[in-house]
Amino acid sequence: MSNLLLSLTTELRRGTLTLAVLSQLQTPQYGYSLVQLLEESGINIDQSTLYPLLRRLEKQELVTSSWDTSESRPRKYYVLSDYGQEIYTELRKEWLKSSKELYDLLKGEEDDAKSD
Amino acid sequence: MQNLIEIYIQEVTRRLPEKNRSDIALELRSTIEDMLPDEYKEEDVKAVLEKLGNPVALAGGYRDRPMHLIGPRYYDLYISLLKMILPIAAVVSIISMVASYFIQYNGDENIVNIIVALTTKGIITLLEVGVQVFFWLTIVFAVIERTDKSKETDPLTNSMTKWTAEDLKAVTYIPKKKAISKSEVFGSFIWIAIWVSFYFNADHLLGIYENNGSGLEFVQPVFHQDVLIGYWPIVVAVIVLEVALAFYKYVKGQWTNRMAILNLIVEAAATIVLLILFIDPKLFQTEFFNYMANIFSYSSTQLQFSFISITFVVVLVFAVISIIDGFRKARIK
Repeated sequence: MSNLLLSLTTELRRGTLTLAVLSQLQTPQYGYSLVQLLEESGINIDQSTLYPLLRRLEKQELVTSSWDTSESRPRKYYVLSDYGQEIYTELRKEWLKSSKELYDLLKGEEDDAKSD
Repeated sequence: MQNLIEIYIQEVTRRLPEKNRSDIALELRSTIEDMLPDEYKEEDVKAVLEKLGNPVALAGGYRDRPMHLIGPRYYDLYISLLKMILPIAAVVSIISMVASYFIQYNGDENIVNIIVALTTKGIITLLEVGVQVFFWLTIVFAVIERTDKSKETDPLTNSMTKWTAEDLKAVTYIPKKKAISKSEVFGSFIWIAIWVSFYFNADHLLGIYENNGSGLEFVQPVFHQDVLIGYWPIVVAVIVLEVALAFYKYVKGQWTNRMAILNLIVEAAATIVLLILFIDPKLFQTEFFNYMANIFSYSSTQLQFSFISITFVVVLVFAVISIIDGFRKARIK
């Protein structure tokens, strides 16, 4: 893939990352379990982006965190706050709406191409 | 092996603020261990750390301070201030450098040495002033960038507020043909500095040089310095007028009717002052014209008359051209 295409693709995905992470935090997750969850759904996330993102979401009060020290290895669990839940619902609605619009837009183009 | 992990964590956390370090270190360590298989070798550790990527980038992600000195919000303002302050600082420092040179001047040097000394000093002064201005302005903006907590990302306007169409009214529309370039203004400042230095040191600088084998030697000045200096009140008046005009040009950036009139006044004043000086018979050293008369085999008085009239006519022609040019540019719509 050319460099330009690569950087455009990264840019395209960047905004969706927050949404993907929020969607998986309905139940408490720690860093690596979240990576695995996302990878199962085919979403490849750069780990050096994910961990700082979790911190940022916590600072924005969208998620809360707690240390679980009961197991052999201490783990930091993140889960959506009430406020985070609210924001996530709105963001989800917004995404579904705009992706449908974009889909229609791109699909229309495809139809045009066929009729030519 | 364990060591590699510790070094990696240290490489990330040492770039972070103190208060977050331990928490992030703990989380990173548990994450890295999660990613490793139960039994692992050094290759596994390397693979995992490479997946986490460059520690600098990871630390950059954790930090919410900007990773640039001056961001898009302040960049444009920063550059335009830099462009405004640099030339002013350069001109002021060059003029004061030349002035202080001649205040300490003891009259021993000939013109070639003076030009070399002034050029060297000038370049050093310009570099020093440039570095100082650049340094302090950049520091100030870097601090502003880090203390500005507003989430605005729009570039700032000169009035420090959000851009509205109203801001366009503050910008004067300047057609190319009537614009006064910064280098033109800079040139006039340099010109003023040069002729002022010559005026106050004419007995060391203006005159006849002879090659005596070991370099140029100053043998005969043109003017009687005491007579020349005696005219200082009107000369200083011309200096003030010329400096004022140059500043006015810098501020306005274009020719206007008022500027053309001011230009007319300055040019007329300069020409009249020159005429007053030149018609004073005591101003010139007769030895100068005797010396010249020997070379060109004319009579001394003949030579003096043509020297004065030619100089005066040349100055007059340039003054008239400048005046007409000013009015022509001011009339361009």
